[in-house]
Formats: sequence, C-alpha cells, structure tokens
Amino acid sequence: MQSEKLTFQTENLDGLTVVRIAGELDLEVASQMRSVMEPLMELSDRKLVLNLRDLKYIDSTGIGILISIVKARHSRNAPFGVEEVPSTIQKLFDMTGITPFLAASPNA
Amino acid sequence: MRNDGTVTLTVPAKAEFVDIIRLTLYGIAAKMKFSFEEIEDMKVAVSEACNNAVLHAYDHSQPGQIEVSFTIMNDDRLQIAVSDSGISFEQVSDRSTSTLHGKSIDEIQSGGLGLYLMQALMDEVEIRSNQGTSVILTKRRLAQEPV
Repeated sequence: MQSEKLTFQTENLDGLTVVRIAGELDLEVASQMRSVMEPLMELSDRKLVLNLRDLKYIDSTGIGILISIVKARHSRNAPFGVEEVPSTIQKLFDMTGITPFLAASPNA
Repeated sequence: MRNDGTVTLTVPAKAEFVDIIRLTLYGIAAKMKFSFEEIEDMKVAVSEACNNAVLHAYDHSQPGQIEVSFTIMNDDRLQIAVSDSGISFEQVSDRSTSTLHGKSIDEIQSGGLGLYLMQALMDEVEIRSNQGTSVILTKRRLAQEPV
C-alpha cells in the first residue's frame, strides 16, 4: 500500500539546510525518513534544521530517529535543531527528555 | 454511548495498518467525549503497543495478526487491548522504561521510550504474556468537552 503519509521539502540556504516534514511520522514511514535524512546528516559544513510545523503525529519510532540524527551530528561536530514544533509534539519531546538535545536557533 | 460495549478489529501485524487502529480509536474516543489532548495521548499509546506487536511478535516467514479491542466502561473509561499470538517475545522480558532525562548525548538511546510513553500517557498499563502478548491500556475521561 502506498500513501503520502509523510512528505519532505528540503531548502538549501547559505550554511543552512531546512527540511520541512509534513504528515505523520510513524513506523510505516520510518525507513523513508531515515533514507531522506541520512545523506543530510553527513553535511558537516552547514546547520541542519527540521521544521515540524506540519507534523501531525510522532511516537517513539520518530523520536528514535531524531536521537540518531542528534548523535550523528554531534559526532561530526555539526549543528542540528528543530523549529516550529506543534504543542502536542513538544509535549512528547518534553516527556521523553529529548528537548534539550533539539535546541535550535536556525539563524545562529 | 451509554452502554458498555466492545469494538474489536483484527489487522495484519504490519506497520501500514497501525494508522487504521488510530482512526478507530479516534472514532470511539470522540463519541465518548474524550478531549482532543486525551485522544492524542491515546493515539500514541495504542500505536506504541501495536508497534511492539509489528516488530517483535512474529518472524518474517510467518506474518501474523494483531487484535485490538476497545471496551467502553461506565461511559467514561476506555480500555484498549492489543493482542498478538506470536510465539517468541523475548524482547518483552526487557520491560524497562527509559527516558533521556539526565543523560549525555553518548548515553541517550531510544530503547524503553515506547513503554515509558504508554505508561505516561495512559492511566493503567498491563502486559500479559502467555502464548503471545496482550497489552491492556486504560484511560478515564477527565474533561467533559466534546471534540
């Protein structure tokens, strides 16, 4: 079954790449998310930001993917953050304790 | 919905069917007048239970099914049971919950987050293992707002 459950829009600016994800990030689309993010995780010459404004759903699967992005970026000494996090998603970030690892100032 | 009753659905134990479970949950919980936030909480909790069944209950040579039942109790409590009949479920014996609080970047990992979220988002979580696994999640409606 095919579905456009999760869509990606990547914007490359000067020293910054912003990936907007929209839809639901669950187990079904986890591998899709990983394959989109993997090449971007390696760009150590720029800041990587995930814009979550249109993300409607996340669970521990997606949070697990974020953890691996955080670790990969950290090992490359490259910045990573999230922006425009909906309040329901932010609540899950706060509960799981991932929030401090996602601090983003995209234009810093 | 005044009367107690149970809605049951059975789906293949595959990731692409978990959102259908969320949809059914929404329909029932909305009828029971759970708040938007309570429904969002339950959607994550039930998905975590279903994800476990998808990932661990069956091996790839023997695709299985997940049975999810929604029981309405006393008009304001919803009990959701997610069951599989998988043979091996060693991972469930590692039933430790874990969060990222107080850990360094090197220490953080995702194991235990699913179980933690189920417990944090629901009022009660019970796991029964016997020739398969049942995860029973219960939440009582607090707010009396229509969705």
